[in-house]
Amino acid sequence: MDSVIKTYDIAKVFNPGMPDQIKAVTDISIEIERGGITVLKGPSGSGKTSLLSLIGCMSRPTSGRIIVNGKDVAKLPERFLTGIRRSTFGFVFQHFNLISGISVIENIMLPLYPSDIKLSSIRKRVESIMENLGISGKKDFSVQRLSGGEQQRVAIARSLINEPEVILADEPTAHLDSKLSEDLKDIFVTLQKEGKTIIIATHDPIIHEGGFAGRVIEMRDGMVKEVTVE
Amino acid sequence: MEKHKKILEYAISSLLRRTYRNLAVIVVFSFMVAVLSSVLFLTHSFKVEALNVLSDAPELIVQRISGGRHDLIPADYMKKIKEIFGVGEVIPRFWGYYYDRMTDSNYTLMGIDKNMRGLELLDGRMPTDSGECAIGKGVSDVRSAGIGGKMYLINSRGRVIAFKVVGVFTSGSNILTNDLVLLTKDSVKTFFGMPSGMATDIIVEVNNDYEEPFVISKIKELLPDTRPIMKREIIRTYDTVFSWRSGMILIMFFGALTAFCILAWDKATGLSDGERQEIGILKAIGWETSDILELKFWEGIVISLTSFLSGLILAYVHVFFFGASVFSPVLKGWSVLFPQFRLMPYISLYQVFIILFFTVVPYVASTIIPSWRAAITEPDSVMRG
Repeated sequence: MDSVIKTYDIAKVFNPGMPDQIKAVTDISIEIERGGITVLKGPSGSGKTSLLSLIGCMSRPTSGRIIVNGKDVAKLPERFLTGIRRSTFGFVFQHFNLISGISVIENIMLPLYPSDIKLSSIRKRVESIMENLGISGKKDFSVQRLSGGEQQRVAIARSLINEPEVILADEPTAHLDSKLSEDLKDIFVTLQKEGKTIIIATHDPIIHEGGFAGRVIEMRDGMVKEVTVE
Repeated sequence: MEKHKKILEYAISSLLRRTYRNLAVIVVFSFMVAVLSSVLFLTHSFKVEALNVLSDAPELIVQRISGGRHDLIPADYMKKIKEIFGVGEVIPRFWGYYYDRMTDSNYTLMGIDKNMRGLELLDGRMPTDSGECAIGKGVSDVRSAGIGGKMYLINSRGRVIAFKVVGVFTSGSNILTNDLVLLTKDSVKTFFGMPSGMATDIIVEVNNDYEEPFVISKIKELLPDTRPIMKREIIRTYDTVFSWRSGMILIMFFGALTAFCILAWDKATGLSDGERQEIGILKAIGWETSDILELKFWEGIVISLTSFLSGLILAYVHVFFFGASVFSPVLKGWSVLFPQFRLMPYISLYQVFIILFFTVVPYVASTIIPSWRAAITEPDSVMRG
């Protein structure tokens, strides 16, 4: 299998050695197939978000190794992780995490502000992504004025602006109804066809059932319980 | 370059999103800069004005002291002073103050002599006859008296004397332009009823500046009831007095300054949940710690420079257009100047730099440091909402 990400016995412990120590992830070794859709499934508190965060270089493991495109990132300092995040990953957060008070188009352009790409070029790229996601009519709207589904699409557009190889989505359907959830699945399928690797953490059956994902990793108590390959 | 431009644009849009909060900081910040700048502008202008008045003043003046107060000096003192080694010319001066009830102004009436330096005739000539006078531009404006007009002054015997204005002059100092009336020496003596053989004071020229202290000690030895005054002593006194007074105001203002620093620190260190969340989001979507610091730097710079410039403009208007109505009574002290005059806008770039350094730099630092603390942490918390 051509893997974009591999983990070897990774563990994440919050507040180690303290009375409130939490073992979020324990000895997880998995592989993520390049160009596939992988779903991390499990109940709340099973360690899905922590694993997603570790894979996406948003936090560092307490132990173990994480290989992203052949490079061990587990012990890299924060300044190098930022570069990897920017070049490899696009994030879709559970609560969208859009910046309120600025327009839709500005939110989507935000990841490219600290680059030397001209604003006009960024704008063109954003408009094309918005067109594909069906939100081009909302570009000057303030994000607070959008519906949940629209905000989710803006968040997806923002995750795509860097042209990342891997899209990480944390509970992307948590604030959507079933119709919008189905629409979101279609978007992910389209992105996969374009060559993106999709990793979704969810406990929503709409996403993890019905053969949508090529690989489903079931988690419980911070450990992998079962891996199903469709 | 493109990157910095975009971050700056985002910084401005971030500030506009928190309009009321930032506006409140700008108002307090500007007020503080305005007060500081007003005090410094005002004292500096007074000092420069005083220097202008004194720039053409004689290097050494000898006055007679009687009962601890300045009194008329006998002209024969000149002979004894002239005999001191190193003394050049010795010239008597005849002058006095005149309060003009009509314009509520205090003028200096001075007998003209060849040592009248620093005055530039705008029109006419200097007085040569006992019924003539030359007046400063400010006096001419206040009295509406031009060349050919009359200056009516009441002499020491209560008689109204009409002086024909034959010249109008200006000077590097506003004070001189606004208060000086030149007459012939005899006119001054007659007007103030000075006994013959007496002068107001004596100008002493010393050939070598380094010998001034020696000449002074000789004068004091020969004429114990005199007070020799060096120009540089007067300048030093002015400088000390205005520095002391501005220092007093700044000390009184120190409380307000401290309050502002606490407010700025509190505002800056107390990153709201929203701001912390925003930093986390920016980090998560690929912003480097240095990008976040640049963003916060621009935010701090925009706020502090806007406040600084507003404060500076406010202070300029307050001091040079409204005569520093808030502080001038304290800074001028009891010696109220008549007629009123507008201060020339002298600004010391060094002082402006000092104000900039002590306001903008701490504010920017107090904005960047807490953001840096937030920016170096892992953005994982953003994932958790």
